[in-house]
Amino acid sequence: MAVGFDVQSNGKRHVDRSSVTMADELLQQAQELLEGQIDFEGQKQTELISSVLLAVSGLFAFILGFALQNIYVTLWTGLGGAALAFLVVVPPYPFYNKSPERWLPSGSGMAGSGIEIDGKKIN
Amino acid sequence: MHSTLVRAQNVFGFFTTVAFCTAILTALSVVFTTQEPSAKIELRNVQVVKGRPHYYSPKKEEYAHIKFDLDADFTSLFNWNTKQLFVWVVATYPSPDASSLSQAVIWDTIINSHSQSHPFNPLQLFTKPPPAKKSSKAKKQSAKKQELDPEPGILRLKNTKPKYQVTDISGILSERTNVTLEIGWNVQPWVGALTWTLGEGQVLGRWKGVQGGKSKAFDMPPLKKKSVGSETVVSSGETPQAAEASAVI
Repeated sequence: MAVGFDVQSNGKRHVDRSSVTMADELLQQAQELLEGQIDFEGQKQTELISSVLLAVSGLFAFILGFALQNIYVTLWTGLGGAALAFLVVVPPYPFYNKSPERWLPSGSGMAGSGIEIDGKKIN
Repeated sequence: MHSTLVRAQNVFGFFTTVAFCTAILTALSVVFTTQEPSAKIELRNVQVVKGRPHYYSPKKEEYAHIKFDLDADFTSLFNWNTKQLFVWVVATYPSPDASSLSQAVIWDTIINSHSQSHPFNPLQLFTKPPPAKKSSKAKKQSAKKQELDPEPGILRLKNTKPKYQVTDISGILSERTNVTLEIGWNVQPWVGALTWTLGEGQVLGRWKGVQGGKSKAFDMPPLKKKSVGSETVVSSGETPQAAEASAVI
């Protein structure tokens, strides 16, 4: 996306520099929202939540429908549980991004920063 | 699970698995229901006439018109997973070579389950206004509704005309002996396996075979000469005597 804007700014039409960066930022934000990335801890949580929610709602749907002797109750309870699972798990909620990974600063591994593999220092 | 798309795919993927497992449970739960159907079927009247049994019949042949009484209770075949019940009456008679039986369905019907005729839609909860007042009129209406909507599966048929005529490949049905009428059914569930008639005395777990469900044996009468429709009248003219007369000339 950013490349596309570069091409446009290099073109004949004059483009205001400040507006490009603003549009760039907006676009990046939109992209992030669309991709909706979450951290490793959040991924672990969503995995667990979706599995448990779906399995429990399926079982609950069967039991409720059987108790009420109404198969429509099973159908709609099951579908409702699935919809709930989608709502809870799919959007990138902030609480799935609470423990971001603290990566090493870029370049820090290049000059023999003391990374050891099998007791040997890697340079 | 790192991005929205992957999460959506994973949730949907596991949802299909859960839905399938729930369907299996539902299909298997039917085994725990009890089934004890009963039926009484009797011959009311049988006629054998010669004519075209259908408008598309290429030739005239003998066909049997069997009227019957049916008194059946199939309510126990309706469980929470039953969508509809297909019921039929079949006439069975021995073939001329006596090696096998001929069978012909003379009547059938579909009985809808309550869940089939009154589908439940959760959106109704939001669109339908709750009953404001419990007036006597409303009570009457609900009582009327209950009257109109009894438990499905009861059949009370008196002197019923057949839906289908019995025809035979030999073209001859008059004076055939040892004919019986039998009831049969097919339970069609929402999910799971179709199940068919369990005969008298058969037991499958908690499912008992039909009680009764078979008429006494009867014989087909001789060909009726003058009867309903012009075709039969015409056919009565084409008697062997006429052929003999032409041979004399």
